[in-house]
Amino acid sequence: MVQQKQVLKLYKNLLEKAYKFDNYNFREYAKRRIHDSFKEHKSLTKPEEIAQFYNNGINNLALLTRQSTISQMYTFDKLVVEPLKQHK
Amino acid sequence: MFRNTIKSFTSNIIRPSLITRQLPLRTVQRCSGPVFVRSYAGFPSLTRDLAKERIIELLEGYDKVSTKNGITEDSSFINDLGLDSLDVVEVVMELEHEFNIQIPDNEADGLKTVGQTIDYILSQPDAC
Repeated sequence: MVQQKQVLKLYKNLLEKAYKFDNYNFREYAKRRIHDSFKEHKSLTKPEEIAQFYNNGINNLALLTRQSTISQMYTFDKLVVEPLKQHK
Repeated sequence: MFRNTIKSFTSNIIRPSLITRQLPLRTVQRCSGPVFVRSYAGFPSLTRDLAKERIIELLEGYDKVSTKNGITEDSSFINDLGLDSLDVVEVVMELEHEFNIQIPDNEADGLKTVGQTIDYILSQPDAC
C-alpha cells in the first residue's frame, strides 16, 4: 500500500530533478509532463493502480536523474524567452 | 638685483608648497562630518514584513491560487487558497528557491498557513 506521503515525496523528487535540466526545453517539458500526469491520475483509488503508477514514477525518476545529469555536462545558449538571472 | 629676483621667485615657489602641506589637514577636517558610503556587498536583512511581501507576491503569481478573499497571514494553503497537496509541494519548492533554503519533508508537512511559513523562514539563519 502506497501512502500519500510517499507519492508527494516522489512528486517532489521528480520536480527537483526536472529543475536541474540545463536546457530550457527539456526542463519545461519535464515539469509539464510530471505535473500533468500527477493531475491526471489524481482520482486513482484502487491500491494496485496506485502502486503501478507509483512504480512507473520511480522508473521515470531514475531516467530523469540520468538525463538531467547528462544535460549538465553540456552548455546551452540561453533562449530569448528565458529570464536572465538578476540581482534583487 | 638678479639675486633679489631669484629670492622672490623661490619664496613664491616655497609658499604654495607650504600651503599644499597644510591641505591634507584641511581635508581631514572636512571629512569629519557625515560620511556617505555605498556598500555593494550586502542585501537588506530579511524582516518579517519583507518575507511576508515576497511570499504573497509568489502566491499571487501562482495561477491556481484563488485570491478572492485576499491573502493574509491566516490563510491556509488548502482551505482558503484552494490548493491541493500537489500544489502545496510545488509552492514549498518555489519558496526554497526564493529564499535559498532547504525545507525537509517532515517540516514542510507542518506548514499549513502563510503565517506559519513566514515564521519558519525567519527561523532559518541562512534565508535571504
